[in-house]
Amino acid sequence: MTRDIWQRLKSDRYGMSGLIVVTIFAILALCVWSGLLGQDWAKVSGSPFESASAAHWFGTNLLGEDILQRTLFGTATAFEVGLMVTICSTLLGTVLGGLSGWYSHGWLDEVILWLKGVLDSIPFYLFAAAVAFALQGSPWAMHLAMIVTFWTTTARIIRGEVMRIKQREFIEAARAIGLPGLITVFRHVLPNTFHILLVQGTIVFVAAINTEVILSFLGLGIQDGVSWGLMLAESSQEVLGGHFGNFIAAASSLFLLLMGFNLLADALQDALNTRGEFT
Amino acid sequence: MNKHDGDTGKPLLELRNLSLSFHRQKQVAVDRVSLKIAAGNTLGLIGASGAGKSSIARAILRLIKPDSGEALFKGKNIFRMNPQELKSTRQRIQLVFQDPSASLSPGRTVEQTLLEPLQHFAIGDANYRQEKTLQILDTVGLDQSALRRYPHQFSSGQQQRIAIARALVTNPELLIADEAVSSLDVSIQSQILQLIQRLQKDFGITFLFISHDLAVIRQIADDVAVMYKGQLLEQSPADQFFSEPTHPYSKTLLAFATGKTPKSWQGDKWFLERNRRSAENSSTCVFAEFCPDKMPRCEQLEPAMLEIQHKNQHASGSHCVKCHLYDEVKTNEH
Amino acid sequence: MTTPALKVTDLSVWFETESGRIPVVDRISFTINAGDATGLVGESGCGKTMTAMAILGLLPASGVSVESAGIEVNGKDIFNLNARQTRAVLGRDIAMIFQQPATALDPVFTMGQQISAVYRRHAGGSKQHIREAMLDALESVGFSQAEDIADAYPHQLSGGMRQLAMIALATVCKPAVIIADEPTTALDNSTRTLILQQLERLRTLHKTAILFISHDLNVVRQICRDVIVMYCGRLVEKTDCPSLFIQARHPYSAGLLSCIPQISATRPTPISSIPGQVPVLTDLPPGCHFAPRCTRVEARCRKSVPELDDKNGSGAACFRPL
Repeated sequence: MTRDIWQRLKSDRYGMSGLIVVTIFAILALCVWSGLLGQDWAKVSGSPFESASAAHWFGTNLLGEDILQRTLFGTATAFEVGLMVTICSTLLGTVLGGLSGWYSHGWLDEVILWLKGVLDSIPFYLFAAAVAFALQGSPWAMHLAMIVTFWTTTARIIRGEVMRIKQREFIEAARAIGLPGLITVFRHVLPNTFHILLVQGTIVFVAAINTEVILSFLGLGIQDGVSWGLMLAESSQEVLGGHFGNFIAAASSLFLLLMGFNLLADALQDALNTRGEFT
Repeated sequence: MNKHDGDTGKPLLELRNLSLSFHRQKQVAVDRVSLKIAAGNTLGLIGASGAGKSSIARAILRLIKPDSGEALFKGKNIFRMNPQELKSTRQRIQLVFQDPSASLSPGRTVEQTLLEPLQHFAIGDANYRQEKTLQILDTVGLDQSALRRYPHQFSSGQQQRIAIARALVTNPELLIADEAVSSLDVSIQSQILQLIQRLQKDFGITFLFISHDLAVIRQIADDVAVMYKGQLLEQSPADQFFSEPTHPYSKTLLAFATGKTPKSWQGDKWFLERNRRSAENSSTCVFAEFCPDKMPRCEQLEPAMLEIQHKNQHASGSHCVKCHLYDEVKTNEH
Repeated sequence: MTTPALKVTDLSVWFETESGRIPVVDRISFTINAGDATGLVGESGCGKTMTAMAILGLLPASGVSVESAGIEVNGKDIFNLNARQTRAVLGRDIAMIFQQPATALDPVFTMGQQISAVYRRHAGGSKQHIREAMLDALESVGFSQAEDIADAYPHQLSGGMRQLAMIALATVCKPAVIIADEPTTALDNSTRTLILQQLERLRTLHKTAILFISHDLNVVRQICRDVIVMYCGRLVEKTDCPSLFIQARHPYSAGLLSCIPQISATRPTPISSIPGQVPVLTDLPPGCHFAPRCTRVEARCRKSVPELDDKNGSGAACFRPL
């Protein structure tokens, strides 16, 4: 099964270019994590606002820190935020959505739906600020705020899918032998939602990075380290003075990575869509 | 696989006044149905779609909750069983569905699908389970290589064999087949029917075979029960049913099935009312509106289920009918 | 000789895949005259629906290729048309009745709206005129309460009613040819009889030519005069219905007939079946496709393809016909 999907993905040029771009960035992030690159993001290695040169490919920022180093570190930050938020919110959304769909119209479903409704109605940035305040500026406040609000979209989709799948006869077959509900959900129902989760996951990744950018503008973003969002926030003042280094570096990195993810997500959706086969 | 010995006397499965309705739609799906299946026998349950046949199958396995009535398996009421007894009963009653591609879990290999009931019911040890899956595949006519593959890699005929294999793996005594061959091509249908005949003969499995196709029922059923709008109208031995059906509805069904339009034909009005009845009307015969042999009594009083005695009683089941035409012929009431 | 209502000559359809071209329909030819019904019989995957879709030009443009020496409705070619021309022909000269009325009808429009839309597209006229034509179509298929049906949505009708409504949809412009793809498969016996009666009326009263696609030989026997049998994309037998049932000449047709369960007053004979299975399209056996399962197979059957010789109007594609 996975081989057919891979074949289909391979034949989609846009999807493959998206995959390549994402992979390149991922490798860069790995290099940063393992200490190979971007370690000097806080080092003052030149004078302020140097323009692009051989020593500093993107020049330096206000404090004389090398923008390239900061961009590389930002890659790691982007992946860290993206992966953490995506994995946690997807897990949470799948479990809660799955339970909600399986026990639909029951009390558990009502509770989860209520919770979803409440979380969806809170303006996100206000919520993020409140969490940051409550956790007294902890670097994980941002991640937590995102995880706790992003799971609702995944849960909603999974709930719908589970409600649909549960009508299928192979689920009746499982019930007919008396298989416990929870085992049925995790063994038979949820695995059939993986294709949706994969696509949804890439969307959440993109949303997480985007959100981090805005949070950084609000000062609620990354506290320890640097991110593209932070760089963009810094650059908002700098460009007025004619210094574009930060802006170009951060904006183009963001654009490339997010574009790559979007192309990948679309191609994945096509590749995984086996139902539309012409028979 | 061991052959089940017929238990003379007690029927293997008995339904007593089983009633079931869908409350949301306020419709009666099953209306006081009583029937008996003797061990080793095959009962063909016939009726148009929506007549309530599938609901009975699901109620027996407690997939739907009935409103009232009993389902006795070897004398014990399934609806009153404690979890342990129920689990043990579920091991002995298995279900085969209509759409083979939908009844197999798409992400599980054939091996996983066959092992699941064995693991769930804790039957045997790992060795036994391995052997059993191989043996069962052989019984249904599939090659060992099927174990590693996924359902979508098989044709629908093969998928139905896998579904049957899954049902057989726990050594069931009763197999309920819900339109199990209805969606198959005729050549594959014949292969599956041959398989069923083999299971009947070699393993003595009791079947409750639900179908709307009379020709298929003729091939494999010992007894026939006819349902219409949730009610059981007739139960008789197959030979009796196909040579001389008793109930007027049965006669109509047989006429349509053999390509002759019966005299009661009234154009599109016939199926306008095909849906399940609402819970109200219980003072008329359910078939009165379309019955060619209708009498005034039929619209005033619901007929009782009457048993018809025969001089040369067939060994397989009883012969009973729910029709005022036979009021005078009755010797016993149910 | 009058012009046949539908004439198909050497129609072939291929799937284009990475591993090459897969033949799905292999040089099918047949003719149906006005007022006649021909049954196209075969099992799932034999290519019957593909044939119908190819005739109507409904196959997707990519991944599928279609070739034919000619498809004519009342002498007019309908094969070499562009998309716009095809759309003008569909519904007016030739129409299709699909297998699953539940999915073939649009759930958000009433039956009246859907039928009127077809009529408006091809014939047009005042609102009054269109409504009359629509109600007329519904009445002519047997609905005594046409207005009620016109106001109903598909999900409010029972399976049989939906199928009848579909027939009304297909016949509102009185096409010369109707292709009915398994129209009675999902229905009960009684409803089936009703649908067949309607198709019979179309045939006799309006002289519509019907291509009746089915896997059920018994149903085909009830309304078709001729029958053509397909196996793995090829036409294996072509003859008239009574002859097929008296003695089928191709081993596959004979096998198929022997599989059909019969209702008899006496205990039925043991069930017979055709051994083996239908080969997958990607792995078709060389020579005659039926050779691996045939009881009359010889060496040459596996090497060369027997052609269908229908010079006397009927024939079987077999080196050793029965």
